[in-house]
Amino acid sequence: MGHSHNTIAFHQDKCDGCGECMTVCAGAKSGTADTLHSRLKIVPSIAANDSFELALCRQCGDPKCVLNCPSGSLTKNHKTGVVPWDAEKCVDCLLCTVGCAYGGITYNAAAGHVMKCDMCDGDPACVKSCPTGALEYNRSAEIYNNYGELEDLFVPGLAACQGCNSELLIRHTMRKIGSNAVVATPPGCIAGMGTVGFNGKTGSKIPVFHPLLTNTASMLAGAKRYYNRIGRDVTMVALAGDGGTVDAGFQSLSGAAERGEQMLYICVDNEGYMNTGMQRSGSTSFGSWTSTTPVGETLHGKTQDAKNMPVIMMMHNCEYVATASLAFMDDYYEKLDKALAAAKRGMAYLHVYSPCPTGWRIPSESTNEVCRKAVETNFVTLWEFAPDEGLRFTHSTDDPLPVEEYLNLSGKYRHLDDAQLTHIENSVERKVAFLNGFMLATSDDGAESLAQ
Amino acid sequence: MPDAALTNEPKSIVCDGNEAAAWAVSLAKPDMVAVYPITPQSSLVEYVSQFIADGKIDADLMDVEGEHSVMSVLHGACLAGARTYTATCGPGLYYMFEPYVRTPGMRLPIVMSVVTRDGLTPQSVWGGQQDAMMLRETGWIQIYCESVQEVLDSLIMAFRIAEHRDVMLPVNICHDGNYLSYGVTKVFLPEQEMVDDFLGDKDTNWHVALDPDRPMSVDPLTGGEGPGGPSTFVRYRQGHCAGMQNALRVITETHEEWERKFGRCYAPLIEEYRLDDADYAIVTIGSMSGAGKDAVDVAREQGQKVGLIRVKTFRPFPMEALRNTLTKVKAIGVVDRSVSFAWNCGPVFQEIQAALYQLKERIPAISFIGGLAGSDITGEHFARVIEATGNQLAGDMTESPVWLNENE
Repeated sequence: MGHSHNTIAFHQDKCDGCGECMTVCAGAKSGTADTLHSRLKIVPSIAANDSFELALCRQCGDPKCVLNCPSGSLTKNHKTGVVPWDAEKCVDCLLCTVGCAYGGITYNAAAGHVMKCDMCDGDPACVKSCPTGALEYNRSAEIYNNYGELEDLFVPGLAACQGCNSELLIRHTMRKIGSNAVVATPPGCIAGMGTVGFNGKTGSKIPVFHPLLTNTASMLAGAKRYYNRIGRDVTMVALAGDGGTVDAGFQSLSGAAERGEQMLYICVDNEGYMNTGMQRSGSTSFGSWTSTTPVGETLHGKTQDAKNMPVIMMMHNCEYVATASLAFMDDYYEKLDKALAAAKRGMAYLHVYSPCPTGWRIPSESTNEVCRKAVETNFVTLWEFAPDEGLRFTHSTDDPLPVEEYLNLSGKYRHLDDAQLTHIENSVERKVAFLNGFMLATSDDGAESLAQ
Repeated sequence: MPDAALTNEPKSIVCDGNEAAAWAVSLAKPDMVAVYPITPQSSLVEYVSQFIADGKIDADLMDVEGEHSVMSVLHGACLAGARTYTATCGPGLYYMFEPYVRTPGMRLPIVMSVVTRDGLTPQSVWGGQQDAMMLRETGWIQIYCESVQEVLDSLIMAFRIAEHRDVMLPVNICHDGNYLSYGVTKVFLPEQEMVDDFLGDKDTNWHVALDPDRPMSVDPLTGGEGPGGPSTFVRYRQGHCAGMQNALRVITETHEEWERKFGRCYAPLIEEYRLDDADYAIVTIGSMSGAGKDAVDVAREQGQKVGLIRVKTFRPFPMEALRNTLTKVKAIGVVDRSVSFAWNCGPVFQEIQAALYQLKERIPAISFIGGLAGSDITGEHFARVIEATGNQLAGDMTESPVWLNENE
């Protein structure tokens, strides 16, 4: 399997042309402040006034410089992704510079040979020096590189609606958890799309079952206790919807958390009974259209706020609680790691906000955009909580976009009037303020902030 | 008191039915016991908890947050391979109903005591069999005990019946709240080694498991119009019905083996008391049977040719055994401690009517309803039952149902 590699990204809109990156590069690579020796160049844009462009090696996957090089001094390192230049082998023919369309390898007359970026062994000095954030070291495809070769434990093909990102969640989660596990998927979309299977055919390569809508955590707890009794370390995982978690399944989950039952419980929250026909749940947000909170002459969607389940779980003797969004997969993976470790000690709870293209009336291709906007507007906040470490935001809640930018993406909010919008804005602010207060009171970061 | 080991007599203790059940659990060695307290079952789970605390029972005790989770954790444990036990009754049983109903369909050999209690509503915490009778169509095996000793013995036998590969069904051992739960008598305790030998190794999840070593999908959606859907679903139903019918044989064999090993003999399905030369009989279920037998003895002394039929196994319904018994008499009176609202009679009466239909000759029958909400069914009540039942032979018919305690 191939690998994808990290890159240096350039945000043109943030670059003010200060040239600090070039100074630092020259210093780091040639021991001089003379930007002539810099391996990247910031140059005024020809296309637009007052903007700048970056000339820098792209570390191409199919590098023309390497192709042109007759001496073998340029090669592609497929492990690191970098195209290193070997001075010993270079014959100074400059054919490489002819091949490169990006100005990524150029002749330095003062040095008497070509120069190019080597990414500073994965810790580029230019990126660290950039005062405006125009340069960014992109750690890309780590999930693919690290987990792509793990076995896919889910069926090929499935019956989910187009645009549903639950498949993404199931495949990634199962790969990460591995086969020494028991997976519970109560009635809902995840079971309905074929995870447990139909008529004697299974949908997964690992033990998987339908609990009742109401008893997911209890069934897993019973199985786990017995495996502990006979000395087998088997991971228990729930992939449940919000109805089976915040409503009908709440008591069994609450009891299991209170008792410290060892499992990873993942709630995939699409804010309603979407598999059953898009009815309201306790997790449906204020103002939402659902088939049981319809929009008509007198009623205009749900009249109550959603139950804040992850916050409730924080108060439940859990070893780890976190929220996640699949638009932030790296964040999800880090939390999955922590949750799996915590599930060996007790209850680990992940609450994944998961838009429903069908029930929310959103175009199937915009699921991830909706996910991302939810976070960027603070409608959804990403955080994690552990009893010893308190609460920590994993995505800043400072400077959010207006919540309308999120609401406007979903048809289920199309009917909102000004009063409803104001209610939502206020409740988003209140929720963030509450979490901030909790963060300040519980975490070391918060304690430091309080001290200042 | 001489040491049992020295006298070579079976060890005996004096206890009530709930403690006897706890001793049976101790002897059956389950891996997991999940409990939630409810009157009149509470002292049973307290005894079990104390036995576990004392190390008498080497089981995981799960004190969960309600009966719904009680049955659910047992599902998980049983699917992982555990031998499991619990007890409940009344509103707790109703709360457990969702996972309870699911248990036999997954063919999980879970054993559960029902310490019977009258139903809601009016609110009542006292004995009655309304709760257990509500379970008739859930597909569990249901056995009703008459005595404290029978509670202990039946509960141990239940594990063997449930785990028998021809059965693989959950078993309810029902003992009457108040009468058996708190009634104190001398009870013989079987030897642990003999019980171990009698029950053998646990065998709970060979057919369905949540085990990474044997990955499978447990209870996927079945039926509908997909390929093989209807026939697959029908096969599950047929298998369940076959398991129930097999249970009639297995229950009988298990009781025979119990008698051989432990010397105590019980009628496994239908007990006949002084029936051979009887003209008519009263039919009883559960702890009332003792008072019923006394009343029969009294009536016999007065020259009445009356006997008693006790229904011990109610699910599966022992149709053949009952039919054979009923052919011996010419009139019956059935005493229930619960009500079939739809049929305006007792549920045992209602079902025995179905058995009567299979007799060559029609015989008259009366439904008596007594002992509701902890009220007594005394010798005097049974005297009334016997008299009215016998009067049918002379054509003096009584309209059903007769409410035995309605003027008390």
